Amino acid sequence: MTGLRVPPGQAGSARPDEAAAPGGPSGPAGSPSSFGLAGWARWGWRQLTSMRTALVLLFLLAVASVPGSLLPQQGIDPAAVQQYYVSHPALAPWLARLSLFNVFAAPWFAAIYLLLFLSLAGCVVPRSIRLARSARTPPPPAPRNLARLPQSARHESTLEPAAALDAAAGVLRRRKFRLRTGDGWVSAEKGYRRELGNLVFHLALLALLCSVALGGLFGYKANRLLVSGTSFANTVTALDEFHPGRLVSSSDLQPFTMTLNRFAASYVTSGPSRGQPLSFNAYVSYSAQPGGAVRHDNLRVNHPINVDGVRVFIIGHGYAPVFRVTDGTGKVVFDQPVPFIAVNTSGLTSTGVVKVPDAHPDQLGFAGVFLPTAVDVNGQLESAFPAPLDPRVSLVSYKGNLGMDSGPPQSVYTLNTAGLTQLPVAPRPLAVGQSIKLPGGAGTLTFTGYRQWISLAITYDPGQLPALIAGLAALAGLLLSFFVRRRRVFVRAYPGPDGRTVVDVGGLARSDPAGGFDEEFTGLARALEKASRGSSTDTPSLTSTTEGKSH
Amino acid sequence: MPDNQGLSHLSDHFLIVAVVLYSLAVIAFAADFAFGRRSPVVTRAKAEVPDLVPAGVAAGGVEDGAAESGTAHDAAGPDASGVGPASTRPGSTRPDSTGPGSTGPGSTGPGSKGPGSTAVARLGGQGRQPAVPVSRLVGIALTLTTAGLALHIAGVITRGLAVHRVPWGDMYEFVISVSCVAVLFFIGLMIKYRPYHLGLFFMAPIVIIMGLAQTVIYTPAGPLVPALNSYWLAIHVTAMTLASGTFMVGAVLAVVYLFAERHTRRVAAGLSTRYGEVFRLLPSAERLDQIAYRTVVFAFPIWTFGIMAGAIWADQAWGRYWGWDPTETWAFITWVVYACFLHARVTAGWRGRRAAYIQLVGFGCLLFNLLGVSLFITGLHSYAGLS
Repeated sequence: MTGLRVPPGQAGSARPDEAAAPGGPSGPAGSPSSFGLAGWARWGWRQLTSMRTALVLLFLLAVASVPGSLLPQQGIDPAAVQQYYVSHPALAPWLARLSLFNVFAAPWFAAIYLLLFLSLAGCVVPRSIRLARSARTPPPPAPRNLARLPQSARHESTLEPAAALDAAAGVLRRRKFRLRTGDGWVSAEKGYRRELGNLVFHLALLALLCSVALGGLFGYKANRLLVSGTSFANTVTALDEFHPGRLVSSSDLQPFTMTLNRFAASYVTSGPSRGQPLSFNAYVSYSAQPGGAVRHDNLRVNHPINVDGVRVFIIGHGYAPVFRVTDGTGKVVFDQPVPFIAVNTSGLTSTGVVKVPDAHPDQLGFAGVFLPTAVDVNGQLESAFPAPLDPRVSLVSYKGNLGMDSGPPQSVYTLNTAGLTQLPVAPRPLAVGQSIKLPGGAGTLTFTGYRQWISLAITYDPGQLPALIAGLAALAGLLLSFFVRRRRVFVRAYPGPDGRTVVDVGGLARSDPAGGFDEEFTGLARALEKASRGSSTDTPSLTSTTEGKSH
Repeated sequence: MPDNQGLSHLSDHFLIVAVVLYSLAVIAFAADFAFGRRSPVVTRAKAEVPDLVPAGVAAGGVEDGAAESGTAHDAAGPDASGVGPASTRPGSTRPDSTGPGSTGPGSTGPGSKGPGSTAVARLGGQGRQPAVPVSRLVGIALTLTTAGLALHIAGVITRGLAVHRVPWGDMYEFVISVSCVAVLFFIGLMIKYRPYHLGLFFMAPIVIIMGLAQTVIYTPAGPLVPALNSYWLAIHVTAMTLASGTFMVGAVLAVVYLFAERHTRRVAAGLSTRYGEVFRLLPSAERLDQIAYRTVVFAFPIWTFGIMAGAIWADQAWGRYWGWDPTETWAFITWVVYACFLHARVTAGWRGRRAAYIQLVGFGCLLFNLLGVSLFITGLHSYAGLS
């Protein structure tokens, strides 16, 4: 961004030579003199790469992000989006048309950041070229009157002017200034790394965007709910949710298998934060290939497992009560754990449904609530603690047609009651081992026990490491551009009226956002004075007019 | 994990006393504006140096910026690093070494230690800065603030010892830590730039924030949920705490700047101003703007690092380094707005007031992230510990 050439530390007193940088369209870019196509293109390009446009785009980026945090987002919480459709039936389709449920993948969001990065590139590339040139150009000659510079000092020396200048040049060279000498003056410049840092920062942001894109093209994300004692293989059909990158096919998935042997959660048992989770330990075994060596590990929050570059995270947990259902014909048609989803975190009260499509003569369905630690609160059953101290299941029973053979695919967590009739069963929360005998000989359901489940996030992101490197480079560039100041120091030595050599020192920081050049100059002026004393024991005078900056 | 409730209560007591001391400091700062008898220093100097500008002018008539860009403080010029305002160089006995304005309030030579200036001299590090006349009340206020800060730090540390971890695991702890950083940074500013009279504007919000923290969002010390149980908590949240505290100081400076700038414009236009006395004691608008800018320059890389550390942690905990979770989104928005501020500062037509407004918008985003997102929007970062 071209306007950055103005030294940020000098607000309100922009030096004319900096503000009117050649080709710097920080002011309103001139309208095209000839309205040909090339003229318009050049005008448009100058507009786009101007600081003002970049600033507006940056603002737009901030504003455009806001709805992404206030409205439910498809990519983060699809269920909340569905809920929004239900509660705002008129508004939701319009929001969807404007991509407001998917802001960060919206075309207009992409337009903003792509324009911003184009503006950035259009500014950064020419600057890089200018930097390369200026690093080879010696500093400008010393101005005539150094006392007019923002920082200046004067001292006298017993050395001849030429020798005093040599001494000064030595001091500046030792401090790694780039020097240029002339008749009676030395000019020195330092701090090119500031501009370098600025460029690195902006280029690193471009690299960061590319890394994100890399992950979006070649990475994938998946979710899988895994009940204790069961296994799954990392294939598209075995995953509950699969969000592949644009260039990922199902054959690209790393073919590992994983078994959850045991899951253990511990909770605070007393005090004000009773029930708060303390630790989750999922003891899993896995192999990178089917039939490969089996490894065991303890999967915890903040400690993912890495298989073949794919990482597996534990992101949730819950209970899966086990039900055995005998149908009207006396056959056991169902005997398996059913994952219930927690509806509150403090007591892990969970809801779920049991669908028994193989039951005869009628299909059976149950909607239930699982309470890990059931307590009676004013006649209402609630769960008082997340651990299974006194687990109960309360069920509503249905018979009829589950509607699973036709129509759109159903969620395993909801019961379509359209074809079902509720059975008149007295509500009684079941303890482990207890049964419901359905009226009319429809069958029997037994709550035989419970298991725990964990939900896993499986992610593969090849852009991760590049993103990290780009981020670190951006930070390094930022620090360089903030804390390195580009500054020039000039020294003039000439014979004074009393025969002694007068040495004038002037300094100017072209950019000093973090401040502190005045202090550096003070130290430098003192070092120069010391160097110019030579072997004389005479204490030279020191008068100085260090002015404050930019007032 | 048995939490030490005794230490936790000790922490509460420390913090309550800290708030009380801060409140007293605010009263002292306010009383200084109202009744402060400025600068025994100047009066004494007047007695010693006959050709001095009238004390009233020295005390208030010289704008800070003018004093600085002029020569009022130049006697202590380039070689006066690390000496207090009331000290002089050994070499200053040469008659020509004292500049024309060297009789300014801060450079009156040895023996000018007024009763109020002792505390100030201890805090003031660099003699180069313009000396604004201070009353005894400011010294008292600064002493109270420093004592309050000591207790504040003790409160944060004991809270950490009580829960065996870094003491910023819930919103109450975070707010207390952020305000601790802000006070620390404020004291740092006092040492570096000596804008003593800004104390009221810094400490009043701190008192309000800490009071609200103690009453509204107080959470008893407790263990962390597993998601927070990571060394990245120490890295990510520490960076965010440091940056937030510093941004807070910057925001206060921006607000004071906006008022001071308005005052300056009104004075320039010859309009009447009601609070001239107040603004004469404050740093000039340009100086405020400059300090605010440097504050942001200090905090912005820390905020950037904090976001990056958070991304790495998110990658460890949730399997993605960036997921547009509401808190992440608002941290990003805050970052972008502060980036706007940094760019606005170097764009013609956007400096000054507009840049200050952008900075305030940035801080508003930060606050919204801390309060609004934590309390009203459910996301992965819902760790406020409030129910």
